[in-house]
Amino acid sequence: MLSALGIALILIMLLSLSLGAYAIPFSSVLAILGEQFGLSLEGVDRSAANVLLQIRLPRIIIALLIGGGLGIAGAALQGLFRNPLVEPGLIGVSSGSALFAVVFIVLIPGLAGSSNLIQNLGMPLFAFLGGLTHVWAVYQLARTQGRTDTATLILAGVAINALAGALIGLTLFFADDSALRSFTFWSLGDLGASSWSKFPVAISLIGIPSIMLMLEYRNLNALSLGEREAFHMGISVQRVKIKILILSALIVGVGVSLAGMIGFVGLVVPHLIRIGFGANHRLVLPASFLLGAILLNVADLMARTVVSPAELPIGVLTALIGAPFFIYLIFKLNKINS
Amino acid sequence: MLQAEDIHFCIRQRPIVKKASISVNPGEILAVLGPNGAGKSTLFKILAGEISCTRGQVDYNGQNLRALKTQQLASVRAVMPQHSTVSFPFTAREVVELGLPKDSKKNSEKNIREVMELTKVVHLEDRLYQQLSGGEKQRVQLARVLIQIWEKKPFPRYLLLDEPTSSLDISQQHIVLDILKKLKSQNIGVLIVMHDLNLAAHYADRIAIVKDGLIAGVGKVEEVYSEALLSEVFDHPIRLVKDQETQQILVSSNSTFHSDLKISKQAQA
Repeated sequence: MLSALGIALILIMLLSLSLGAYAIPFSSVLAILGEQFGLSLEGVDRSAANVLLQIRLPRIIIALLIGGGLGIAGAALQGLFRNPLVEPGLIGVSSGSALFAVVFIVLIPGLAGSSNLIQNLGMPLFAFLGGLTHVWAVYQLARTQGRTDTATLILAGVAINALAGALIGLTLFFADDSALRSFTFWSLGDLGASSWSKFPVAISLIGIPSIMLMLEYRNLNALSLGEREAFHMGISVQRVKIKILILSALIVGVGVSLAGMIGFVGLVVPHLIRIGFGANHRLVLPASFLLGAILLNVADLMARTVVSPAELPIGVLTALIGAPFFIYLIFKLNKINS
Repeated sequence: MLQAEDIHFCIRQRPIVKKASISVNPGEILAVLGPNGAGKSTLFKILAGEISCTRGQVDYNGQNLRALKTQQLASVRAVMPQHSTVSFPFTAREVVELGLPKDSKKNSEKNIREVMELTKVVHLEDRLYQQLSGGEKQRVQLARVLIQIWEKKPFPRYLLLDEPTSSLDISQQHIVLDILKKLKSQNIGVLIVMHDLNLAAHYADRIAIVKDGLIAGVGKVEEVYSEALLSEVFDHPIRLVKDQETQQILVSSNSTFHSDLKISKQAQA
């Protein structure tokens, strides 16, 4: 099952490398990639190789990490909240991250512009802090006696999203800074700024935490029985909860700082995985990573090609698929509960 | 032995459990009875390690509960709550597997089969837990809880159950209690909080009666069950009769004229 997803991911990545404003035939894609692995093949077009290796490949790999990260963070947060409606965007992790990222850029403009290290590392970490405070706040607001009430959760998320959105808008309005990208970037996401320089941050602060989350499968499984039950089963519930919140906020926060807010991936992906793979987090977590990576690459491919040579904001596409799905989920859960 | 001595628990200066001492021996079933609000649940939570008592101490096999890490505690005792919800579509077998201790790789397949056979849920293994009936769910949960303490260890283990049969029909209640009875040979001591006085008399080796945070009586059924004590504790007239065939004590709590009067008095007040 996992290998099927893995193969699908590789195929969609190859397709993404080939398609775009500047079409590169499939055979050339393979030739350029082969060349990187030491195979010398003739007929490699230099400019095609440049587009592919310097523009498309980093974008695709960063989309892989962000999409996978959103998928796995969504699955982990749903497990932690014991609620399939939880999504990093809906409960305010993403907007919290975006707010802190924007504030970071505005407050420390000199720093952000001057040093590569601070810009590459400071903003993701600041975004992580924003996501963490927000997810913590929502968690405390929505939880009564060890369970999270869906209505309170969504309402808390709505309130925090609205507040964060307003503050982002306000900050952007007052900040006339060239370092600051548009409101669209933060609210709808954009992978266009992906480059190899962002890769180290993405792999270390999204890739590694994702693997650490996958190792939490046993604890998340136990938590799906309830916090009391998990304690009875020998799990240090408080420690596990904090660990999962921190890892998820890190993944989402860094993702937001790299590509803005991309909604609904974390909602749709774990749900589809559970339909196909069952509920065991041992499979759900890695499978959500793979499917998240696939979905974001598909969405990005569409964003790049549908109105080519212009681009659609990627969040528009994920929301077009995700929002109706969310409504469907609410209906379905209502039916189960009644 | 699971032993609690002089435990005491207050909420906002109000004592819920006062000076309660209780013990469970491996291989026995101890039923804890008492009216609503007597402090049974609090006592249960203290024994399970969920909350710590204000005074007194709880020992598992001679080791203080406070000194045990969460994981160590889980290897000595398992807990079955009143009802558990499972938030994602796990199958019955997956729910049982969730209970497996971390270190059990070797015999896990054999153990899972054994507990699932004991709790009669083998035929349900591929069904979704969320779609099972109430009785089936409880038996799956029981299997999940049992697997935690199934692997034989050189020390006795304990199983704590909080009203596991309260939402089950009469035959399901007997099925669950019969399963518990079979645990005696496993060197497991069972503490079960329950409401049904007849079921308790039938299945328990010893009975503890809780009233107002105190242990009002503890001992064998014949020692504890008296019309005076039970009527007093439950604030309701209770008669004991002996079954002619089985010689078992049967508890009758039929409304008499006396209790009708009492109920109408309560209603007025």
